[in-house]
Amino acid sequence: MTTLFDPSRIPTLQQQERTRPWSKRTKKFDVSVALAVIVPLLIVVAMFQFSDIPDALVMVIYLPLQLIASGIAAYLTKGKRGIGDSLIIVNAIGASIFSFVVIISVIWSLLSHGIKALSIPFLTQNSTYISPSTPLEYGGIAHAALGTLLIVAISALIAVPIGIATAIYITEVRGRAVPYVRFFVQSMSGVPSVVAGLFILTTLILTGAINTSAFAGGLAYAILMLPTVARTAEEVLRLVPDDLRTGALALGSTRARTVFQVVLPAAKTGIVTAIILGVARVIGETAPLLMTAGKNDATVTNPFSDPISTLPVSIFENVAQPYPDAVTRAWGSALILMVVVAILFTAARLIGRNKVK
Amino acid sequence: MATPDLQQRDLQAAATSHRGDRVFNRAITVAAFISLIILAGIAIFLGAQALPVFQELGFSFLTTTAWDLTTDPVSVGIFGMLYGSILLSVVALVIAVPASLLLSIFIVFLAPKKLASILTNSIDLMAAIPSVILGLWAFYVLNPQAEEWQRLLNEYLGWIPFFENASGNFLGTPFIAGFVLAIMVIPITTSVTREVLGRTPPDLINAAEALGCSMWTMLRYVALPYGRGGIVGGVMLGLGRALGETIAVFFVLKLVYDTNWYHVIESGGGSVATLIVSRFGEASGPFEVQLLLAAGFFLFLMTLIVNMIANLIVSRTGRLKK
Repeated sequence: MTTLFDPSRIPTLQQQERTRPWSKRTKKFDVSVALAVIVPLLIVVAMFQFSDIPDALVMVIYLPLQLIASGIAAYLTKGKRGIGDSLIIVNAIGASIFSFVVIISVIWSLLSHGIKALSIPFLTQNSTYISPSTPLEYGGIAHAALGTLLIVAISALIAVPIGIATAIYITEVRGRAVPYVRFFVQSMSGVPSVVAGLFILTTLILTGAINTSAFAGGLAYAILMLPTVARTAEEVLRLVPDDLRTGALALGSTRARTVFQVVLPAAKTGIVTAIILGVARVIGETAPLLMTAGKNDATVTNPFSDPISTLPVSIFENVAQPYPDAVTRAWGSALILMVVVAILFTAARLIGRNKVK
Repeated sequence: MATPDLQQRDLQAAATSHRGDRVFNRAITVAAFISLIILAGIAIFLGAQALPVFQELGFSFLTTTAWDLTTDPVSVGIFGMLYGSILLSVVALVIAVPASLLLSIFIVFLAPKKLASILTNSIDLMAAIPSVILGLWAFYVLNPQAEEWQRLLNEYLGWIPFFENASGNFLGTPFIAGFVLAIMVIPITTSVTREVLGRTPPDLINAAEALGCSMWTMLRYVALPYGRGGIVGGVMLGLGRALGETIAVFFVLKLVYDTNWYHVIESGGGSVATLIVSRFGEASGPFEVQLLLAAGFFLFLMTLIVNMIANLIVSRTGRLKK
């Protein structure tokens, strides 16, 4: 059948998914795929039921079995060249299932273990007079939650202005050093968290300049937060159209006014996303806090004076304790931390959807 | 291409013509260099702490595997730890690299749009899970499972030197620690590879199909070579993360002051970052703290070099230029 060229079809042709020619399937193909899925499953179920091969081994056997079955099915429908495709497809689905299983396992274990710890005292009390063997009805993590809040706030106060300034340098000032600044920000994002802690420890705590305190922890967190904020903010400022900048300059506004009254307001939601991602990046870091903020069973509100407990450190303290109640407390703290991270993550996604209005 | 240059020059001119703007420019420039100042500060201050250690112990600090401060002269060195960090990272990459590649292939070329976006989101969520939570999960949920897998590996593949296990203790092995690291590396590597594969020109893909390529051939000869630089860079970024990870490894690895060369399912191994955290709480005095700071210096150097190479590769492939 021949078709005449019809210009009105161009948009529909362009809308077609151009990168996935393999998504066209025939019925024969679907049938063989169904067979390739069902046969190995049946064999494995039979092995679970009727043989004494250990269950874990059966699960291990499943993948090669599935590969062989799919290979045969592909050979029958598409010939020799189908085999490679079928191996890729089976392995790719396997990898996706693997990552789903990991995430669901983490979330499920947090919910199932952590929910036992949740109670009013757990959320409102501190841990003074509480030892690992104290039953769950007493003591809580309010002091640790407050500590985390304090430290994250301090680090955000330090890292957010610097991070945004770095982004402004790259996208607005556009000095000669832009490639180098970007390179250093990138490299800084790879600094291990434990090294950030050691840095604050040597420069400020061991020299006696500041105490082991929320402020020291905030400084260590700021080192980790800065590159995330800078990189996200840069990406967002880049989306602001140049017309806005030139327009503002043409109206006679100065460079600084252009940035503060035109560019930054235009990218407001994106900047918020950058801050949220920065907070989410640091909120669970433990190693730097062990060195800079320490721990404290009592509630501390002065950020400069005393060691202070945080949620990650309180998890760290309670893992591998021989007392089940202590372990449950660790799960409870982890659940609360994860809920906070999940809220931040969702907020960043929702706001990030329309980065520049 | 004249217009952007002209525009930029005008912006520059406008930026320096006003006194308030000069102040603004200078302030922003100073702030932009803070990241460089911090990096240099870390190198200088930790280096200053590492120097006396080097003067006292010489290169034996890098070549010895021991941590004993009671003897005279003290026998301490981080060779086992440095090697252990690398071994753990290799285990992590062996698991994470194929997984991330396959994941990105699935997301970019195979999955329906909705599933792809769910998968992308959940992989990003995986990156957001704090390492202390992953460590907690690994200690209580993964450990018993992994113990069973390793027992099977040892039973059926024990004749391969990597899977020897003389002690019968399958907990605290480099395999488990590497597996946890792999879970942290997968999101980082996947996000880079996904983007790189997604940028394969559709024309090349369609041309490959027109020439009769199967998907396998297309990947082998078009998509993977096209994105090779970005994929290598993504793997290096993951490597940097694996080398520096502390807490999760601390929970699942049995730290021994001995070099575990290749017995990945034998209990005991090393990691510089974990050494620092585990010794820090019970450091015997200022000298031991100094030793740990020196160890931190080498950890910093190692991760910095890996990350710089990774960033050079990734930015050369144009991912960061846009």
